[in-house]
Amino acid sequence: MDVNMTYATQEMWTWWLAIYLYFGGLGAATLAVTFLTDMYLKPNRALVIWGAGAGVVLLALGSLMLFGHLLDKTAVLTVLNPMAMLNQSSAWIAWGTQFIIWMMVWGVLYALPYVRETEFPHRVPGIRDLIDKPFVIGTSKLVQRFHRSVGWLAVINGVGVAVYTGLLLQSFPAVALWHNPAVPLLFTVSAFSTAMAFLLVLMYTLLHDQADEHVRVLYERIDLVLIAAELVILFSLYQYLKNGSESAVRSLELLWNDYGWLIGFIGFGLILPFLLELKGVMRGWGSRVPILTAAVLVLAGGYLLRHYFMYAGVYAYPW
Amino acid sequence: MTHYAMVIDLNTCVGCNACMAACAMENQTPVWDKNKWRTYVHDKEIGLGSDVQRRFFPRLCNHCDNPPCMTVCPTGATRKKANGIVFVDQDLCMGCGACAMACPYHARVPVTRRDMREGREFYGSDYRRTSPSMDKCSFCDHLVEQGRKPACVETCVGYSRMFGDLDDPNDPVAQMVASGAARALMPHIGTRPNVYYIDDIRWRG
Repeated sequence: MDVNMTYATQEMWTWWLAIYLYFGGLGAATLAVTFLTDMYLKPNRALVIWGAGAGVVLLALGSLMLFGHLLDKTAVLTVLNPMAMLNQSSAWIAWGTQFIIWMMVWGVLYALPYVRETEFPHRVPGIRDLIDKPFVIGTSKLVQRFHRSVGWLAVINGVGVAVYTGLLLQSFPAVALWHNPAVPLLFTVSAFSTAMAFLLVLMYTLLHDQADEHVRVLYERIDLVLIAAELVILFSLYQYLKNGSESAVRSLELLWNDYGWLIGFIGFGLILPFLLELKGVMRGWGSRVPILTAAVLVLAGGYLLRHYFMYAGVYAYPW
Repeated sequence: MTHYAMVIDLNTCVGCNACMAACAMENQTPVWDKNKWRTYVHDKEIGLGSDVQRRFFPRLCNHCDNPPCMTVCPTGATRKKANGIVFVDQDLCMGCGACAMACPYHARVPVTRRDMREGREFYGSDYRRTSPSMDKCSFCDHLVEQGRKPACVETCVGYSRMFGDLDDPNDPVAQMVASGAARALMPHIGTRPNVYYIDDIRWRG
């Protein structure tokens, strides 16, 4: 058509949605990893309580970012109904809302027996009254009986949340940067990478137990592989954008000419932690500072990825 | 079955913006914010050197057969009637903005509580909106149900906007679309839009 094309970035979903996507992926993957660790690697009460707690708090904070920007907050009741998933099966937000809710429910239930066994909650007045109620004691005993099933329900919903964040962006067909299969892969891998980093920070600071050394080493190795996978996906995405539509090329120019993306995310958020973790895996470290540094950088990089991704989504309009 | 569509002739659009005003008054849109019109006429210069032309480009919701705004809507507030008109159920919409992100035609706008307050002042006691929501063109379905045409079509001084039934072979709109003279925007995205544009001056002889 004989018109000029214009290229525009959106202003509707900006940093607050980037936080939602970041906390969603990070919280869900953290919960899933800790429960799988507890079920199949090494029973770990403290890790489960922290993992479930962090997962639920991060998910709640992320969801608040989305909720706060809804135009009509009372209408949110529609998506809280599980039937929304079936009625609007093509809408990823409907699936994501249900994944988030049920991940929180099963996550809290899985951690409940551990919470009751722990001394600290019994010293906190409000929580002590709650966890000593007969109903909660009965629920805790029931959960203990089906602990692995409850764990898997939490893990499945957690993985659902982590994957959904990328699928949500992929469902917008007008933006070449988002509408491609690399995005759900990138966001899922990033979610699990940041979860490993978060758990490493936890295990090297608050839960510094020598008996967990093999778990920490495994997390470091998995994170190393995940960062490598993320770099490969980014390279594929770069190739796709480079040879794609004009909208794709504009997105590529925005991202790869931005120091925040190039140096902040790829340099400090991926390559530097990769090298640090590689050194740790191959030769080991005398101190926990390098691995903590790597983990913090991965966590910051996870946010930068989502921040710049939202900002660089370019629409092509034929007017 | 009726399948409504609109054809816009870019050669006869004079850029008077009467369509914008008619749409705004008919549908009580937030006219105080230039980003919140349901239809908008872009004023563009196209071409290079001595071939530069001034071209007006009206745009609105394309009432797609495969609307991405409907597939991403988590509450089911965006729906499609049997006659092809895509509309928003204001009471069901929570205003997450996913539809605006999915729309390739920039046809979705948020109407906030602040807009509603302004709307009550601007449109007076006749103001109809009861809840904030994402907003879009509805092809004036309330007029169409009465056998009338959308307000933008009724008011167009250059007759550049035409509204009709694609399933009626005798309808001029259907004939123009079938002839290939009127073309949809960005068909490669797969949305199968129902707003078509005529941009070739030679076609008119």
